[in-house]
Amino acid sequence: MNQIQRIAPISDADAARLVSDTALADLAGQITMTPAGPATAKRAPRARRRRWWLAGIPAAAAAAALIAAVVVAHTGGPGGAGSTGGTVQLRPDAHALAFTRVGRYIDVIVRDPLADEASYNAEFKAHGLDITLSLVPASPSLVGTVVEISTSGPDENSITTITAKGRCWTGGGGSECPVGLRVPVGFRGQASLVFGRAARPGEQYESTTSASAPGEVMHGLNYVGKRVSTVLAMLARRHVTVPTYRDDGRALTPRQVPGTWYVYDAVPWAPQQVLLFVGPVPSHAYGAARPAPSPSPSG
Amino acid sequence: MLRVSKGATLRYPQPGGPDERRHRFEELYAANCGPILGYVLRRTDNPDDAADVIAETFLTAWRRLDAVPPGDEARLWLYGVARRVLANYRRGERRRAVLADRLRAELSAGYRPAQYTGELAEFAAAFRSLAEADREVLALVGWEGLDRGQAAAALGCSRNALRIRLHRARRRLADACARHQVTSPSEPVSVTNGESA
Repeated sequence: MNQIQRIAPISDADAARLVSDTALADLAGQITMTPAGPATAKRAPRARRRRWWLAGIPAAAAAAALIAAVVVAHTGGPGGAGSTGGTVQLRPDAHALAFTRVGRYIDVIVRDPLADEASYNAEFKAHGLDITLSLVPASPSLVGTVVEISTSGPDENSITTITAKGRCWTGGGGSECPVGLRVPVGFRGQASLVFGRAARPGEQYESTTSASAPGEVMHGLNYVGKRVSTVLAMLARRHVTVPTYRDDGRALTPRQVPGTWYVYDAVPWAPQQVLLFVGPVPSHAYGAARPAPSPSPSG
Repeated sequence: MLRVSKGATLRYPQPGGPDERRHRFEELYAANCGPILGYVLRRTDNPDDAADVIAETFLTAWRRLDAVPPGDEARLWLYGVARRVLANYRRGERRRAVLADRLRAELSAGYRPAQYTGELAEFAAAFRSLAEADREVLALVGWEGLDRGQAAAALGCSRNALRIRLHRARRRLADACARHQVTSPSEPVSVTNGESA
């Protein structure tokens, strides 16, 4: 088995060195915050933290600091639970990007979130910028947020974000959204940016958050620990369907899941579709045996 | 609101006293996040997917904490969940969960797929040419260092079935090595049945 050992791509120890204690603790903290049921709406820090780390990526990388950005348009806001992917206004005749010279900077706003990558890249190039931009389908509360960024080159610290309040609703509380980026005139670095855009009907999301975050289709539903049949009835009233389930990571089709099973969690899958995490037993944390929450002494 | 500083252990404001469930998850997570991170990174070259698979694996453990066996078997159970989640991703699933953002950023920044040269590269190519199920059983033994009983538990099969799967996988690896014109790993294998089907 020696030779197989020799092609192990990475050891556990080396894998552990790739990530900071902070990132690991962050994940554990976010996971243990998930059983929230009705308290889900209070998960506001997510969006903020997300942007915060975006600013910190480069530190981990080797340098840089950076960006965030764009997409002017928007989800239906907190009341958008019933919205589908059609909330983005297309402007087929307009340029995909808007460039405005502001002193020593150029402000770039995405005007057409469904333009193809070549259009964006061509427009950046026409302005002498080595910046690539792509958009991936995201669930409503993440539309307009940054999914991924990477930068390099001599001016990598010099791109900043333009944010605006109330332009979108991110992950449960953040209303100050990145709507554009500010690039210094003569920027010589490279940057590649991926933003969340609204999905087309039937198109699977590539970036999601909790299905009960404000703006998502299950916002306000108390479904955790309920039976599958009960949750399906709730969803039917919102015209939401469940194309696929997960049982301990195992993908199951709707026919394989008894209505008597229990729902543990849900994430947006595609417009008006969610994925449910289910199992045959009520989870200890949510089931009938759960002790009633007692009021905290501090209120 | 959770605050964590570098190097600190997790602390939660819990006015209601110790939360056993959370505490149990923290122990499980602390003991297994390294092995699961390694397991997943050894099976995908895509650090974005890796972050999401790791997050979903531990989310599953959090949701199904009662189903997680105690002791070292917990790791084998987590390997099983991670394997299934990875399979979903290989089938084209892409779900960038916000809660994995930070992990994703660090993995993307730091992870570089392994590169092999010479005969090892050929051997790696032969290994990669195997079916997923064959690679998994060989990898559980060769990469995770599991014995047969542990590998059987991780795969949810009997020890005997594992023995047969391992033997067949090794035979197919030897065939693949021959096709790639590399020396196959010499392996003392003793299997007396299961060769016909």
